[in-house]
Amino acid sequence: MAIFTDSDRFWNPLLETLPREKLRELQIRKFRRIMKWAHDHSKFHRQLYDKAGVEPGDIKTMEDISRVPKVEKSMMRGIQKKEPYPYGDMLCVPLEEITAFRQTSGTTGQPVYQPDTWQDWEWWAEAWAYILYAQGYRRSDRVFIPFGYNIFVAFWAGHYGAEKLGCEVVPGGVLNTEARILKMQELKATATMATPTYILGMADTARKKLGLDPAKDLNIQRITCAGEPGASIPATKKRMEEAWGARVYDHIGATEIGAWSYECLEQPGGLHVNEGLFLVEIEDVETGEIIEEPNRQGKMVITAFDRIAQPCIRFDSKDIIEWHEQDCACGRTFRMIKGGVVGRADDITKVKGVLLAPTAIEEVVRGLPELGDEYEVVVTKKGDTDDISLKVELQPGAEGLREEVLGKLSDQLRLKTNLRYNISFHAYGSLPRYDVKAKRFKDLRKAH
Amino acid sequence: MADMDLKEISRMIQEIEDAAKGLIDKAQGIQAILRNADRILASAKMLKINVSDLVS
Repeated sequence: MAIFTDSDRFWNPLLETLPREKLRELQIRKFRRIMKWAHDHSKFHRQLYDKAGVEPGDIKTMEDISRVPKVEKSMMRGIQKKEPYPYGDMLCVPLEEITAFRQTSGTTGQPVYQPDTWQDWEWWAEAWAYILYAQGYRRSDRVFIPFGYNIFVAFWAGHYGAEKLGCEVVPGGVLNTEARILKMQELKATATMATPTYILGMADTARKKLGLDPAKDLNIQRITCAGEPGASIPATKKRMEEAWGARVYDHIGATEIGAWSYECLEQPGGLHVNEGLFLVEIEDVETGEIIEEPNRQGKMVITAFDRIAQPCIRFDSKDIIEWHEQDCACGRTFRMIKGGVVGRADDITKVKGVLLAPTAIEEVVRGLPELGDEYEVVVTKKGDTDDISLKVELQPGAEGLREEVLGKLSDQLRLKTNLRYNISFHAYGSLPRYDVKAKRFKDLRKAH
Repeated sequence: MADMDLKEISRMIQEIEDAAKGLIDKAQGIQAILRNADRILASAKMLKINVSDLVS
């Protein structure tokens, strides 16, 4: 079989440039295989499929796949903490095969436990190797990871992915922010990974507390973000790139799924789905219809083809995404999602009868150079009416521009979100700072 | 990039897997053999995902 591809540009050109029809055939075959694995090894999956009257052997087309029952996080929560403890009967391998425990952050409720075998962990690192190679990481990179290594998977897999790729990895675990910046400077680290919140926070600390300009005094050339949508929000990406003098790339992953999507060097306004390792379906939130066309938002339902301890098969992620209308100039045949995850089905909420995605607010706030990086949105109920307040900080030296900024901010927010906000200005540095995942959107209406 | 014989590569990956399984069969419980062979199997699986799955 003759394959002509460019091994310098792709971690695996065999998969990343596979013609679409071959990719589809592969995905259907791999779906059938993981479904059979789960059916044969997990009581939970067997009961789920038997009840729905579907068997792995039935899977011959994408339509067949769309009839396989979805798994929701609430179902996983219901199973866990039972035998085999603490994972319950979704587990597909004997307990002694498990080599790693992680759990979700619990942002949306009780954390979900995620067991992995060594093979699963190799797979995590493999998925990250695709990401990092696509973003220009090579063996010559020295990658500093300013991450508090703990029970959350986040940059653990980035660490192992970078090692797999042959990079030199510096684990910046328990150091504080100043020490991390100084170590990056001392070692002339070329790359780093963090949430957008922390990337901006580190730059702020470098300037204010250490008198360093990360763009000039450090050697970081590429940054990979995770955990929040910021690197796919143009205004936030621009702030990070300017602050660090580096290219910033997004990636998306989740504990119970894996690292499923990545931005490439082209920064095409979207992220490639790693379709060799995952199947992404986009489902209309109202009708459940599978959306194949671009520019139509829906809820992601995702399958990881090769994760064996606790399989992820048609997992209802509640992430809101849409297909990109363009092919990417990088040459990958993997489809792209436009602008990353634009919200969560849980977060995209109706305020005053208007659908609101918090990412739209961030795009406006971070697009105004007079405003600081931090902001907070609080939705409350006053009588029968929704009230939405936005707290922002003026940059030091911009205090005299308050009225002008207020006008621009109100106009742009109305244009972008079709809503009016009660905007208040707060002293620079007074709004909460976050090290990992930020919680800037608070819907308090249920509490009223 | 030169032509690649994926079937031949896939066959070689299978040999790695078979050899690792052979080690496990002959390990007589020696953990130093069992656990390291298990890691070889995990790596062989990644090779299968990247290559062999395309030709099967």
